[in-house]
Amino acid sequence: MTTPYPGLTPSHRTRALFKWLALLGAATFGLGLLFARQRALSSFLLLNIGFLGMGLGAAFFIALQYVCGAHWAVALRRVPEAMCGILPWAALGILITILVGRSLYPWTEEHATGMKGVILSYPFVLGRTVVFLGIWLLLVRALVHGSRLQDDTGDASLSESNVRLSAVFLVVFGLTFWVAVFDWVMSLEPEWYSTMYGVYHFAGLFLGAIAAIIILVVWLSRVGPLRSVLTAEHLHDLGKLLFGFSTFWMYIWFSEYMLIWYADFPEETAHFVRRLTGGWGPLFVANMVVTWLIPFFILLPKPVKRNPDMLVRVACMILFGRWLDLYLLIYPAAVGHETVTFGVLELGMALGAPGLFMLVFVRAYRACAPVPIADPLLNASLSHHQ
Amino acid sequence: MMQHVHTDPRRGLPTAPSSNIRPPIEDIKLLEPILYTGPKFYITVVCLLAVIALGVFAYMTQYREGLGVTGLGRPVYWGFYITNFVFFIGISHAGTLISAILRIVGAEWRRTITRSAEVITVMVILFGVGNILIDLGRPDRMLNVVLFGKLRSPLLWDVCSITVYLTMSTTYLYLPLIPDIAILRDYTTKHRWLYRMLALGWTGTPRQHRVLELLISVMAIVVIPVAVSVHTVVSFVFAMTIQPMWHSAIFGPYFVVGAIFSGIAALIVAMALIRWVYDLGDYLKDLHFNNLSLMLLVMCFAWFYFTGSEFLTTFYGNEPAHMGIFWMKISGPYAPHFWVMVATCFVIPVAILCNKRTRTILGAVIASICVNIGMYLERFIIVVPSLSQPRLPHAESIPYSPTWVEWSILAACFAAFTLLYVLFTKLFPIVSIWEVQEGRENSIAEVTARLKTYLPEPYVPEDKEQPIGATP
Repeated sequence: MTTPYPGLTPSHRTRALFKWLALLGAATFGLGLLFARQRALSSFLLLNIGFLGMGLGAAFFIALQYVCGAHWAVALRRVPEAMCGILPWAALGILITILVGRSLYPWTEEHATGMKGVILSYPFVLGRTVVFLGIWLLLVRALVHGSRLQDDTGDASLSESNVRLSAVFLVVFGLTFWVAVFDWVMSLEPEWYSTMYGVYHFAGLFLGAIAAIIILVVWLSRVGPLRSVLTAEHLHDLGKLLFGFSTFWMYIWFSEYMLIWYADFPEETAHFVRRLTGGWGPLFVANMVVTWLIPFFILLPKPVKRNPDMLVRVACMILFGRWLDLYLLIYPAAVGHETVTFGVLELGMALGAPGLFMLVFVRAYRACAPVPIADPLLNASLSHHQ
Repeated sequence: MMQHVHTDPRRGLPTAPSSNIRPPIEDIKLLEPILYTGPKFYITVVCLLAVIALGVFAYMTQYREGLGVTGLGRPVYWGFYITNFVFFIGISHAGTLISAILRIVGAEWRRTITRSAEVITVMVILFGVGNILIDLGRPDRMLNVVLFGKLRSPLLWDVCSITVYLTMSTTYLYLPLIPDIAILRDYTTKHRWLYRMLALGWTGTPRQHRVLELLISVMAIVVIPVAVSVHTVVSFVFAMTIQPMWHSAIFGPYFVVGAIFSGIAALIVAMALIRWVYDLGDYLKDLHFNNLSLMLLVMCFAWFYFTGSEFLTTFYGNEPAHMGIFWMKISGPYAPHFWVMVATCFVIPVAILCNKRTRTILGAVIASICVNIGMYLERFIIVVPSLSQPRLPHAESIPYSPTWVEWSILAACFAAFTLLYVLFTKLFPIVSIWEVQEGRENSIAEVTARLKTYLPEPYVPEDKEQPIGATP
């Protein structure tokens, strides 16, 4: 199909960079499994939760746009759609972690008593994992498929069916995601729980996805496909979302931490004590600084939100904060809280993740028109004004 | 009919109306409640005053004889009054927050509904705070918060955040009211002294409009974090204790979501009443109710999500003290409250609002009344069950059941709120006249111009005589 928008053709150097990064990540993971299995598995879980967050966050973004009848981001929709391409890989990664990485989860060895023992029994967790991942994959696939099909058929009713599908996805996602993060992350410390945990993960997930969307749309506007599409108005709106959800994340973080700190129950504070002692303290503070404090003050003025360079820098900082957040959630519990564990293994795998992600993204993005050309709201999106 | 008389404030002489303030001819209907008062109004006021008198009598009984006349005791020392406090503060989110969000996102349909929302906030906060005074037994002890306030006490934070919120909400209600007060000053003859004083010399110059709109937009932004903080802090009063099922990390956003939820429901009911009583169907249209219904539907799901997270996580945690309260709510003495809450906050409103055929004004009102009943029950089963089984050993407690005193004061609060709301509509237009005028003049043109940019330029053939399809 011919479109007025140029396709994505990354240079050989860019492709090679992504490939080498992905290879580096795979190699460090492979070696890590041989020499430091627990660390490698922890890092693997961390990155797959991150990937899952990117995919589900992007799907949440698309679904939200459909349900609200919002037009402004229609022209950019292929970016979050392509981000959803990482979901099958993330799902596979999580499934592997649950199957292979039983050593991460203490409840597989020492069974909890009572109802918790039933909830955290291995077959039940595995079953839930398969069901949740399956449902998400099916819904997201249908959502993306409907949008791509519209390019060929030009059928406006596909938008309507996607609105209904989005509503279903939002409800299903809301009801399942927090149970999923309980199973995969919170149960690393089975004796600890927080009613806020699911909301906290959601805040991080959506924040990370918005940051990634910003970086990708700016990159695509530089390399071609979105050159005549992306305007300062789009960036301004994305910047506002980034600002808003960074603050939302901080609000959720504070609400959880403050109540646990104030009530001072040993069984609750243990979670935070592990992340404040043994050298973890500075990282704990850095998490807030890079995910909220600095972005908040940088993003306050209007011109910054319309400036692609500044916005990308803040988005990169927030993505780093996202990695740090997951690192703080997983490592002290799964690897050990006595000292900070960070070495070549963690660095290699963390560098490999963007490489793999970009390979998948580029492939998914090239699979269809760079802009949803037949969407009835496309014109409105192209000439979007605040 | 109205007299088009303008009075020079310095001399008290009639002059020509200020040229910048347009007469409200097209929206004369909005002034009718202010200009004409029928017997129905007086009957309503008398009925409301009777209920208020009953509440005053109940309070006087309580003041004279002490809190023993209520159902409160040990260990359940918080009952209806604190439930009322949380409920009313929740309802207060109807106005300022919803109105501010709609203004910020530039929702054009907001113009006729923002005022009726903002009034709810200001009026209802008074009753939220009032219930704390009633609950104290000795209201003079309220001063202890100021005299012996401790910075680490959430009660002090509560006093601060609610005071800030009340101040800001009142300002936020008053600012968009100024041009309308000037219209009343210039084009009506009633209460002119009041309008002249409150209009602050508004003459509608472009500069005044600029300053006003700047102030409104700044207030709209600032008031949102304040509103969120208010209900977060209200939740901290519970969650910062170690009482089972009060001490829950999710309480901050859970309360905020509940507040917005009950606020939207209250707004729908208030708007439906205004529309019915003052026959304002042209202003409060089906579209407004439909949009608010959709917002209510979204909040239904959000509320369900948070309630689910709260209860299922407690179930997962399986801590004995928490589980005691948990089962009291699910299958114990508070089970009827809990399951009615689930039905009225989720099942019924979702069933009504998901279906386009039932998402009518009547449907929205039924759903909203259900939600408000459910949210009151939610506040009740947050406050009471946790206290009835505290962590410390306690003497056998009598189950809490409110007495006639508490019921009367509750009824009086609702009656007094309704009375204040009714009086407001008799003094000021409940739909913003100038914003409707502005919407007609500017926004329609703006939206039309914007929509035109979405469409391709029309094809204009060079030779108009030539039939379409003919080879040139």
